[in-house]
This record gives sequence, C-alpha cells and structure tokens, in this order.
Amino acid sequence: MNVNKLFGLTRSVSFGRNVFATRVAQKGDCVHHFRSRRFIRSSARSLTYAKDLFLGKVNKAEVFPFPEISKEELEELNQLVQPVEKFFNEDVDSKKIDHEAVIPPETLNGLKELGLFGIQVPEEYGGLGLSNTMYARLGEITSLDGAIAVTLAAHQAIGLKGILIAGNDAQKAKYLPKLATGEHIAAFCLTEPGSGSDAASIQTRATLTEDGKHFLLNGTKFWISNGGWADIMTVFARTEVVDKDGEKKDKITAFIVERAFGGVTSGKPEDKLGIRGSNTCEVTFEDTKVPVENVIGEVGGGFKVAMNILNNGRFSMGSAGAGMIKRLIELTSEYAGTRKQFNRSLSEFGMIQDKFATMALNAFVMESMAYLTAGMMDRPGVPDCSLEAAMVKVFSSEGSWICVSEALQVLGGLGFTKNYPYERYLRDCRILQIFEGTNEILRMYIALTGMQYAGKILTGKIKEMKKGNVGVVFEILGKKLKDSVVKTVDFGLTGKDGVVHPSLTESAKMFEQNAAHFGSTVESLLYRYGKTIVEEQLVLKKVADVLINLYAMTAVLSRTSRSISIGLRNHDHEVLLTNTFCKDAHFKNNFLLTQLQKNSPENNDANIKKIAQEVIAKRAYVCSHPLDRTF
Amino acid sequence: MNAPRQLLRIQCIARFLGTPIQRVIPPTGAHLQTPGSQHKYGQLLRPLHCSAVCSTSRPSQTPLEKTVEAETLKKDKSLVTHDDLFERAARDSKTKADFNRVVDVFSKKDIRRRGHVEFIYAALKKMPEFGVERDITVYNKLLDVFPKEVFVPRNFIQRMFNHYPRQQECGVQLLEQMENYGIMPNVETKVLLAQIFGEKSHPMRKYQRIMYWFPKFKHANPFPVPHVLPSDPVELARFSLTRIADDLDAKITIYQYPSTDITETGEEVMRPHIVGIQSPNQRTLLAKHNPSRPVFVEGPFPLWLRKTCVHYFLLRADPIPSEETVEEEFDLEMMGPEQSLFYPQRLELDLERDMGDDFRFDVDDVKEGPVYAMCMAGQGDQVTLSQWISGLQETCPILGQIPTVFRLESGPRELQTTSDAQQTPEQEVETDPIIEEEPLHSQRVKQ
Repeated sequence: MNVNKLFGLTRSVSFGRNVFATRVAQKGDCVHHFRSRRFIRSSARSLTYAKDLFLGKVNKAEVFPFPEISKEELEELNQLVQPVEKFFNEDVDSKKIDHEAVIPPETLNGLKELGLFGIQVPEEYGGLGLSNTMYARLGEITSLDGAIAVTLAAHQAIGLKGILIAGNDAQKAKYLPKLATGEHIAAFCLTEPGSGSDAASIQTRATLTEDGKHFLLNGTKFWISNGGWADIMTVFARTEVVDKDGEKKDKITAFIVERAFGGVTSGKPEDKLGIRGSNTCEVTFEDTKVPVENVIGEVGGGFKVAMNILNNGRFSMGSAGAGMIKRLIELTSEYAGTRKQFNRSLSEFGMIQDKFATMALNAFVMESMAYLTAGMMDRPGVPDCSLEAAMVKVFSSEGSWICVSEALQVLGGLGFTKNYPYERYLRDCRILQIFEGTNEILRMYIALTGMQYAGKILTGKIKEMKKGNVGVVFEILGKKLKDSVVKTVDFGLTGKDGVVHPSLTESAKMFEQNAAHFGSTVESLLYRYGKTIVEEQLVLKKVADVLINLYAMTAVLSRTSRSISIGLRNHDHEVLLTNTFCKDAHFKNNFLLTQLQKNSPENNDANIKKIAQEVIAKRAYVCSHPLDRTF
Repeated sequence: MNAPRQLLRIQCIARFLGTPIQRVIPPTGAHLQTPGSQHKYGQLLRPLHCSAVCSTSRPSQTPLEKTVEAETLKKDKSLVTHDDLFERAARDSKTKADFNRVVDVFSKKDIRRRGHVEFIYAALKKMPEFGVERDITVYNKLLDVFPKEVFVPRNFIQRMFNHYPRQQECGVQLLEQMENYGIMPNVETKVLLAQIFGEKSHPMRKYQRIMYWFPKFKHANPFPVPHVLPSDPVELARFSLTRIADDLDAKITIYQYPSTDITETGEEVMRPHIVGIQSPNQRTLLAKHNPSRPVFVEGPFPLWLRKTCVHYFLLRADPIPSEETVEEEFDLEMMGPEQSLFYPQRLELDLERDMGDDFRFDVDDVKEGPVYAMCMAGQGDQVTLSQWISGLQETCPILGQIPTVFRLESGPRELQTTSDAQQTPEQEVETDPIIEEEPLHSQRVKQ
C-alpha cells in the first residue's frame, strides 16, 4: 500500500516535471510571438475539444495539462491586481451606486487611472495589453460591483473588441488610444426593438451616399449598455451588397460610429432590477454620416465580426462569478460561525454546511472552467473556443444565481434586507443568465454546433446503417456487445502515460464513461432525428447540459492534476472538491443520458410540451380552482 | 303471516300490469291492498305527509280551484283532464306563477292527491309551454305532489319487487325530463325522492346516476354557449365572431352601430350593424395578397348557437396557385450552421428523421384559400358589406387596389321573410314555437 503510494507520488512528480518541461520549452520558443499576439484571435482551428466530445473522443492534448502563465506574467499580474483590489475595497461604494443608479465620476476616474478601460488593448495603443487569462483574473475583482463590471465589459469585451479583432491599423491607431485610457467610452449596438436574440432580423440600415464616401445610418438600437455616454459605438446595420452573381442582397456590416458624427440620440436610461449603476438605454441614429473608412472588416462582413466578438467574450463570466462567490463565502462564513441558534453555532448545522459546500464547489468549477478556456484562447494559433466560452457562461451564470441565493439564505431574514449586500448581489447576478446570449440560446448554440460537427462526420456511417448494411450493423453491434462485456472505457486519461493524477482515477473513470456514453448517444440522436433535431429543443437542452457537465469535469480534473503535481497549497481540498463534483456530475449525466434514450420512461418531454401547449393555447392557467364545484 | 299477503299482492300487481293503463284510475295504489290488511298495516290510514309547500292553509276558493274540483268530480269518467286544467288555468298568460298556481291548487284540493300521477305527467308535458322546463324549483314542486312515505317499501319483499311501479315510473320520467333539459337535481330533490320512494327506489337510482354523470359532462364542451344569448345584435355578433375565430389576438371592430335615420323626405332609413373580426396574422396575409387576384366576399353562412341561427360573411381569396407561391428564401449566412450569430436555425446535414421517430400523420391537405376577415351585419346586401370592406381598408390599404367580388347568396331567409326589419334572425328563431316543442332528447347537448 505504502509502496504503491510512494510509486504514485514519484510518478506524479515526474509527470509534473514533464508538464513543466514542455510548457517551458514551448514558452521559450514562442515568447516573442506570444507577446505580440496577446489579443484575441478568431476563426477556426483544426483541434477542438468540446466538439470532439460529440464524437465520443477525448482530445486530451487540448485540455491537459491545465494552462498556466509564465512567472513574469504572474508577477506582472499580481502587481496589477493589488491596487485594483484595494480600489474596489476602499473606493467603490456599491450600495450608493446601486441606490443612485449611477457610477460617480470619481470612481470612473479611478478605474481609468488603473487602466481598467484598456485591459486587452495592446500596449502600443496605450492599453495594458493583457492576455485573456489575465483579463479573467482582473474580472474576478471587477465583478465585486456588478454595475462597474458590466460597464467595463460593455466597453472593452464587446464595445471596442470589434476594432481590436477586425479593425485595420488606421482604425486602431485612431480609436484605440483614447478608448484604452477611458477618455472615450465604447458601446456595442446590435440588439433592436424587433430583434432580441434574433440578430438576423435587424432593421437598421446604412445606405451609401452618392459620392460613395459615406454611409447614412438610420435606425434604433435597444438595450445598449453604456448607450447614454458612449462616444464610440460599434453599430451593425444592413447594407446593400452586390454578390458574385450580380444580385443585390442585404448584408450586415459593422461600423465604427462616433457620437460626434451627429444624428445620434440616446433615450432615457432604463430603470433595471440589478446592475443599476450601469447605463442601459435606447440609441437612435438619424441620417448619421459614417465615412466608409469606418467599416469594420469588409462591407457585408459584419455578421462574422459580431459573432466573433460575442462568441469569445463570454468566458470571463466564469471568473467573475467565481470572484463574487469567493467574496460571498467570506462574508457568510463569518456570520455562520458567530451566529448561535439552539446553543449551537449556525455552521454546525448540516443544512448550512451543505450551502457552503455548494458555494465552494461552484466557485471551484467556475474558476477551473474559466481559466481553462482562457488558457486555450491564449494559445498560439487560432483557437476556436466559442463552444467552450458559451459553456462557461451558462454554467457560471446559473451557478452564481444558485450560490448567491444560498448565501442569502444562510442569513435568513437579514439577507433579505437592504442592510446587507446579498439582495444587491442577487439582483445584479440575475442579468448573467440573460445578456450576451440568453442561456437558452446558448444551450441551443452549444448543442447544435456540436451536432453539426458530429453529423458531418457520422452521416456516411448512419446512412449505411439505415440502408441495412450488414457489415456496419455488425460492427456497431459488436462494439456495443464489447462495451457491455468489458464495461471499461479507456481514453488514456489514467494509467500509464495518463494525464490525470492517480488520486483522481475514480473521477477520471467516471468522466471517461460519461464521455463514451455521450458519444454513442449523440450518434443515436443523429440517427433518430437527422437534421430535424433543430426542432427538438428539449433534447438539445439535455445534450448541452451533458456537455457542460463533461467540460466542467474535464476542467476540474485538469486543474487538480496540475495542483497536485506542482504541490499547490491545499491541493488536497481540490482533490476533495474534484471528486465530489465529478461524482455528482456523473450521476446527473447518467440520468440525462438515460432520458435521451428512445422510449425512456424517465423522459417527460412529451408531457412537458403538452402542458405548455395547453397553457399557451389558453394564455392562462388551465385548471379549475380547487374549491370549485360542479353541483 | 306476511307471506300470503305479499303473494296476493304480487298477483294483484301482475294483473294490474296486464290490464290497459287507462283502467287503473285512480292510481293511488290503494285498491291494490286487500281490504283485510288495510287496518293491520295502516298504509291507507296513515296521513299523507306533505311538505311545507303543500300544507299551507287553504285560501278561499278561486275560480281555478272550482274548475279543479269540477274536474276531479268528472274525472272518474274522463281521462284527459289535467291537460285541460293547465289550458284553462293559463288561457291568458303562461308564466311560472300560473304554473305554480295550478300545482298548488291540485295539491291542496284533496288530501289523498287522487290522480297525482296523471297530473304530473300532464304537468311535465306542459312545462315548456310555461317556460319553466329549466327551473329546478318547479321540478321539485312537482315532485312534492307525490304523497310522502306511502311508496317507501317497508320490507325486503317489497324492496325486491317493483313497489308501486307506476309512481316510480312517473318519478323516473320526471327526472328524465330534467335530464333532457340538462337540469341538475339538487339536495331538495334528493330529500323529496327519499321521502317519497325511499333510499333504494328506481327514482333514487335515477337520481344517483344523474348525479354521477352530470358533473362529469358539465364541462365537456370547451366552448360553452350561454343559455341566454345577448339580445343586443352587436354583442351577439361579437360573441359569435370570437367563437368562430379562435384566435386570442383577433380584434373585433364595430364598423357601424345599428341606428335609424330619418331622411329629409321623412323616410326611415335603417342603418344595420356591421361587426368584423380580423387577426394580426390575417392582416399580414392580406397585405401580401397579390392585387391582380380578386378577393371574394361570401356568405351568408349559418352559425347555430343553441336554437339560434346567426349568419356571417367571409372575405377570402382563392388558393394561391403553386407557380406564384414564393418559397421564403433564407439567408444561409444568417441561418445556417456555424454562421448564425447565436445559434444555427438549420443544420447542413444529409440526414432525415428516422421513420421510427416520425410520428407525423399522413394527412391529405386540401389546398384552401386564405380567409382574411369575417363579419356579421344586420343586412346581407352588397351595400352593407361594401361598407365593411371600406372599413377594412383603413387598416389594410392594399384592399383598395384589389378587385372585390361579392358572391352573396339570396341571404338569410329569416332575415328577408321578416316583415319587421328590426327583428334579427336569431330572435325570430327563438320565438319559433315549432322548434320549442321539438323533444330534444338525444340531440341536445346536455348542460
């Protein structure tokens, strides 16, 4: 037993060293490369992790080992973090911001001085030039005030990102310096009154003037964060484009619009439930003259720009949520430790302990997912992490909501009052499930993107099966038989050459089992529904949930393996959290996958649909009152 | 000691059943008892228990009562008497009060209630005439005419055989009529039945069955029609149109209220009501209508609301020929996989739904043209309906460019035959006595 342990330890040490060696080598090679390419890149890369899970493949090279930043970067980051943390603890009065629904100018100035308006803007344009990972770290702190976090995110995660990722050098040189210092504030104008999440139906129109030098912009944009005070706006509008067949078509184009161009009016700021300090309002463009140089990318290519901005900006919500929960744990545990009930401290009660465990687990998983995704995005090359980023967003927005609610519950009635910050946190974090793509839409995105990917590869095989090709059928039957007999799936995560630390073997096995099961489920879903799966939203929701769980399991396994290997402080606690989470997720996945089987008695979808249809047909609650009589 | 008597009675019943019905008047059942047993069991001597309604002190005799007395005196010879009673009682008016008066008079005139079965049958028949066929209190009052406790079986033999069959039959008939009119018995009915026939009699069974089924069927119709329809033609049109157009978004527009104008020449000009309904979907469909193709105003089509018939008109078009139907083009960049801003609206896969998961029915769709709007109007002529069309133009300006063809049938017959133009067809049908008298046993929707 002891010998075994020892063996495991030495192996893990060597494993850790291996990890390091490769990392360092890699870093050394591309250190120069890295510096200059810290900002976001987009478009597809051949290797993908989440998409391959749909095929029942675990692309372990993508997610193991857990990404890390260099020592110099870490030091640089820590230097940045300290003053920011100090500023948020001392100079930001969240209660006042919430109450007065405005961020005071001195707070904004403080943020500008800290450079928080240009975190990812390269240094040559006057920004901090931080990578995604470092941006995520700062997000943990800025999230302590929801209004500030949203203002900053609207400014740089979406507002100026268009210029950053798709703008040309002239545009960057013209706009980025002032945006990075916060002299100008940016906004992202996509949503319209008639199109909430359905961005394809935007009506704002840009028409080329006769001299061909300007576009005239007309239309109204809704729910624009920073809309009231933004000086530079990324606006999406329809333009007429002649395509290669010579036909005229409406395509979407992205523009950089300065308020100074004229014809831009903002409505009254919306009175919101949460993030009250942030400015959200309607922006109307009336014959706004935009020079053709201000088109981002090419005319008619706005859709891709919008997609890239949104798809890659979501990952930071994970670290933001984790930062908030970590703060909440500190606040509530102090209360639970001191408050006595029935002569016992609150923290001795099982149900209260349960809440703390939930909070710790959620914070841990969110953090792992966020930094894993950020690390993947920071890798050289052009990674496509939109699926992963969306998963982080869904998981962390829902986890945050649960955790804030649990934290409030620990305090009971006190948490419900305005004397404590919990109600504000609760209100603020409700928006997470709504903006940057609602969680419903993102689940559809996650599931369908994966289905499309898997479908392309599996179509041939499924068609053969449908034709009744004996060979293929036997192959599948044989595989199923083998799976049922052998019962072990091995993706090489554990054992010799394993990437997961031996103390997490059990969890890794659970993950592997789920991953294999998920692959075969996707195949059978494609067999059953084909391309009509688009209409099966309840099925897709389950698919997305399984995938999110799988990705979360991957993230914690990867992170904890690294922690153990390099001997981070309290890594035994991480092991505990990992094993707990994986077991929980494993059973949840099993249930979801069972529901996805054909004719599964666990599946209630048909009934759920019927209930909803009956209610919606009446537009009211259908049942009679329980006190009603017929005679 | 009981047995021989019961046997005797059974024989009596058998004989009684064999004889023609007319001969067993008066049907109190008293004559079935052998004289010897009368005193012993005291069935005849027991005073008839009457409910409070019946046992009120007798007022001074009215002419009606006198006729009743006379009738009863004559009745030994004649059979069809009670019908006359009602006829005579209500020569001038037929109301609930009159009906109740007849029943009261009958109940009070004779403590033995001789001839009550005939009376009840006659009363049941006359109920619709008096307009009380839906009144539970009247039914209870009629039940109250039965003497109490006399017909309650007192031992197992009586219980086993049909005790006082004619009375029970009559009770069942009364309940049956209630059933046919969709009247739910109440607790009073139950108490009365228990007092008259006992807990396990046939009428009681009937009552129980009604009480079992009625509540279950009470809400069987998801689109109930009230018994009393609105008398205002505009309100009635509003009700009927929303009933046909089962779209919660559909909007009712009243294009014209009914009114009467007097022209300079002193003629009275009737302005009929025009009430239309159109849903937002219909409006968008109409806006997309090809202006070179005509739209049709058709009608009148009947709509029955219980016994009332109303008529409505349609604005419709022919089905769009296949060569003109434009497939809604979708932009692959915005809808297709990998391209959509938020999520793909369709997948680019060469895989169809598996047969085992395809639960669609193979339905032969009949191509039908779109219906753009509906209306109800006080008059079905072209002048009135073109007013409706011009009203529709306010929201759908395209209608001005589309040729409108009026394909009106001769119009609702009720409307045209009515001499009084003010009378709407529904009112006319409502007062039509022929329909009223129709027994509606099976066809009725029971409420």
